[in-house]
Amino acid sequence: ELTLLGVTQYYAYVQEKQKVHCLNTLFRKLHINQSIIFCNSTQRVELLAKKITELGYSCYYIHSKMAQQHRNRVFHDFREGHCRNLVCSDLLTRGIDIQAVNVVINFDFPRNSETYLHRIGRSGRFGHLGIAINLVTYEDRHNLRRIEKELRTRIGPIPAEVDSKLYVAEFQHDLK
Amino acid sequence: VVLAQDSLIEEVSFLCNNLSLANLPNKVEDIRKIINDNDDNFREWLAQYLVMKRITLEQNFHALYNGFLLALNDVTLNDMVKLETLRNIKILLKSDKKHAASNFCDRQLLKNLGHWLGLITLGRNEPILLDELNLRDLLLEAFYKGQQELLYVIPFVVKVIISCGKSSVFNPTCAWIHQILQILAEIHRQSDLKLNLKFEIEVLCKELQVNLDNLICDNSLLQDTDRITLMTQQLSEVTML
Repeated sequence: ELTLLGVTQYYAYVQEKQKVHCLNTLFRKLHINQSIIFCNSTQRVELLAKKITELGYSCYYIHSKMAQQHRNRVFHDFREGHCRNLVCSDLLTRGIDIQAVNVVINFDFPRNSETYLHRIGRSGRFGHLGIAINLVTYEDRHNLRRIEKELRTRIGPIPAEVDSKLYVAEFQHDLK
Repeated sequence: VVLAQDSLIEEVSFLCNNLSLANLPNKVEDIRKIINDNDDNFREWLAQYLVMKRITLEQNFHALYNGFLLALNDVTLNDMVKLETLRNIKILLKSDKKHAASNFCDRQLLKNLGHWLGLITLGRNEPILLDELNLRDLLLEAFYKGQQELLYVIPFVVKVIISCGKSSVFNPTCAWIHQILQILAEIHRQSDLKLNLKFEIEVLCKELQVNLDNLICDNSLLQDTDRITLMTQQLSEVTML
């Protein structure tokens, strides 16, 4: 059973060609422990992973056309923290159960609510804190509202500053 | 410490978001360049950022950040990081512990900072000086003040000490560490100690391959209340009912 509890969801309106730039901005503004970035096709997974590795990201990728054994290996290494970000297509069926993942990004917005839930949802009653950010193009605008409605959830526009308390575990202001 | 340039903050943020063992040498070069291009104010900001925004919260990457600082090998920055770590630890130790049972958050932060402190001192064969932080007296003080304080202090001390397994100088047989272990063992023998705290101590001993039953001290420091009341207090005052 997957839940969206504890996950704060945002969207950012972008054009296709602005997506990588938008991703860069997110990675300069947020406190990311580990992140998962979803694309809609295996080609786009490989392209994006290659592109952002060149830009200095620490990332692995997995997609459905890779051998299961290879996928397991990559996922295991990611879980162990060998790299910080994972680019992938839709193949995780159980929901993310990696405690360190506090940011999930839909680089491509999914077409239906089931996929959305599988990407963003957490398993277990006490989901860890996290944020989900959807890069939404003009074509995605109806899907966004439909999925929001079907899942009875709220996906708000991303604010200039994302409150750390929403996704950084154990964040404390008193330390200042 | 306030840093004027947002772009600089974002650059460091991006770097930390993407730091990993595989790209460590590159990222070390990147940060070295930034340090050289900026004044000591930046170093100070960086130390604070690393401790407060990263190390305190990202326990899973402690080894990575430690490796990063070791590779960077910047003496000033290392000193600043240690100072900042101790400063944050002291704030948490002095914080109000009345609601300790529910204040899981503060205790977790303190544990994370303790683990980090152990890594960058004991783990690097460097001492924690008594005037920086007196672990032994801290335990005695917590024992004297009660359950709530122990709930904070025991897991913290355990996390610090656990790094002495990696140290050739400060191993469990060194007098300093050994005495702390003895006090932990004596606290462990108190029948009314919370079970999870007993467990923490047992895990530490197992990790360090020390036999808990052999840790016996003839002159008990725990019973010496006169001495304890005269110590410099490191925890907050216990409020009278």
